Amino acid sequence: MRTDGTAFAASRPFAGTAAFLWTEILVQSNERMAMVTSMVVPGVILVFVEILDPSLIGVALIGAILFSTFTMGQRVLNEAAYLRIDHKANELYLAGPLTPEAYFVGMSVGIMVVYVAPTVFLSVLAVLIVPLTLSTGLLLLALAAAVWLSAASIGYIFSTFFRDNRAIWAYSSLFFNIFGVLAPVFYPLGLFPEPLRPIVLLMPPSAAAALAQSAIGVTTLAPWQAVLAVAGLGVETIGLFVLAIRWARRTVRGE
Amino acid sequence: MSGEALRSVDLRKTYQSRGAPTVEALKGVSMEVHRGERVALLGRNGAGKTTFLRIASTLLRPTSGSVEIFDIDIAAAPQKARPYIAVVPQEGKPFFHLTPREQIYTYLRARGFARETAKARTEEALDRMGLTGFANQLSVTLSGGQRQRTMVATVIATEAPLLFLDEPTIGMDPFARREVWASLRALTQKGSTILLTTHYLDEAEVLSQRLYIVERGVVLSSGTAEELKRSVGGTLKVLIPDGASQAERFRSFGTCVTDGLSLTVVVSPNALGEVMGLVTRSGMTATVGPVTLEEAFLRAVGRSINED
Repeated sequence: MRTDGTAFAASRPFAGTAAFLWTEILVQSNERMAMVTSMVVPGVILVFVEILDPSLIGVALIGAILFSTFTMGQRVLNEAAYLRIDHKANELYLAGPLTPEAYFVGMSVGIMVVYVAPTVFLSVLAVLIVPLTLSTGLLLLALAAAVWLSAASIGYIFSTFFRDNRAIWAYSSLFFNIFGVLAPVFYPLGLFPEPLRPIVLLMPPSAAAALAQSAIGVTTLAPWQAVLAVAGLGVETIGLFVLAIRWARRTVRGE
Repeated sequence: MSGEALRSVDLRKTYQSRGAPTVEALKGVSMEVHRGERVALLGRNGAGKTTFLRIASTLLRPTSGSVEIFDIDIAAAPQKARPYIAVVPQEGKPFFHLTPREQIYTYLRARGFARETAKARTEEALDRMGLTGFANQLSVTLSGGQRQRTMVATVIATEAPLLFLDEPTIGMDPFARREVWASLRALTQKGSTILLTTHYLDEAEVLSQRLYIVERGVVLSSGTAEELKRSVGGTLKVLIPDGASQAERFRSFGTCVTDGLSLTVVVSPNALGEVMGLVTRSGMTATVGPVTLEEAFLRAVGRSINED
């Protein structure tokens, strides 16, 4: 029997990822103000740090890069919920050959487009001010990728629990500000209460920030702390991504 | 292979959520949609139409019963069925920050169409749905009807073997509705099958080859529009604006329905002369018209409500 002409086999995982990614890139690039809003919080914090303690501007810049990648998860949360609740886009796309994992990954990568310009800008500043070497730059890139993947996974999973967009704004803002601003992302781990440090070393953005700070010599991590941060970030990134894929497949059909 | 595009057997769905009463949305719905057919589900709000469509389109798990799409059991293998279907969701909207042209093209690409095919089908769908003039405007700037046309065009362009359309023409003007009807007819001529829900009974009658009337999760009746209309008990209706108080005098001629002060008598053509004679002798006036699907629908659903 003919299908509608689609080349996708029903069982091919990630079928349609590139095409849905392109859709999301077009959507995001037509929404230019999003590029500005993605810079507001890190920009304001950088200004505050520059006024209050300019010696911390390098740490804050690295924090700003990691915070930006972390807030992509917030945008995935908002976008996925908005498209599901207001547009029924998940019904349009998922009652078809596009796989749920392609929908999730395409959306998560596509959302990056609004963060490209601010992140490049912050990275140039970091190279000039921190200063970043090639090795610390590559390390920061890897850490940012891990933070993005874990945050996007969390964002997508959370998005499926909401039935009202207005409820999401409060929760997502709370979640991403506690883990991205309150935790030691913009400031050195050494300024955070010592008994609570193992906890923040298990949170993706603050773990990545601690490792980056350690690499540039701002923070000294004990070996166990470094292991905890690396292992935690690695396990969380892979674990959350796998969970998000499984969750995306499972939630195509409502109960 | 049975040849059916869709077959449901004793389909049941019960919604259970904390803090809310349990709702039996479907209570054993069985139906068949043949290949190449256009079938409409009719029912009041909350009758179970959308629940049925969501289950059949692999977006909702049934509580029990089965649905097969082209012989594929969608409970066991939804991912196998999905390449054969496309859905216009109820109250769905296109991406606001895409133009209709981008929306249709990227959707086709996401379904796996080659670039050239996607481009050709996009232009064809835009033209068919009268969207060419707005094709390069962001959807956020379009009217509600234009957005709905974009949604329908997006799905029609797939030419999927089985299309589910949940209130596809809602918010459209009469011209746009007719463009949709023509497009859907053309699609079934090419071999696609269509299952739609609508509240517009004229649309259901003009567009569908068969209809199912659903009420409170149960199929009350099914058949062609003509068959359903015949079930009312006549082919003509006599509307007597002030006749409600005289209903007993007309009851022997056919089905009588009162609505406020007015009386509608459904009669066969043979009895029309006698009825009009009685109307004249009683000093009343009346208008005569053909029985419509609306009478059949109201009778079926009304009887069900009265039986409760």
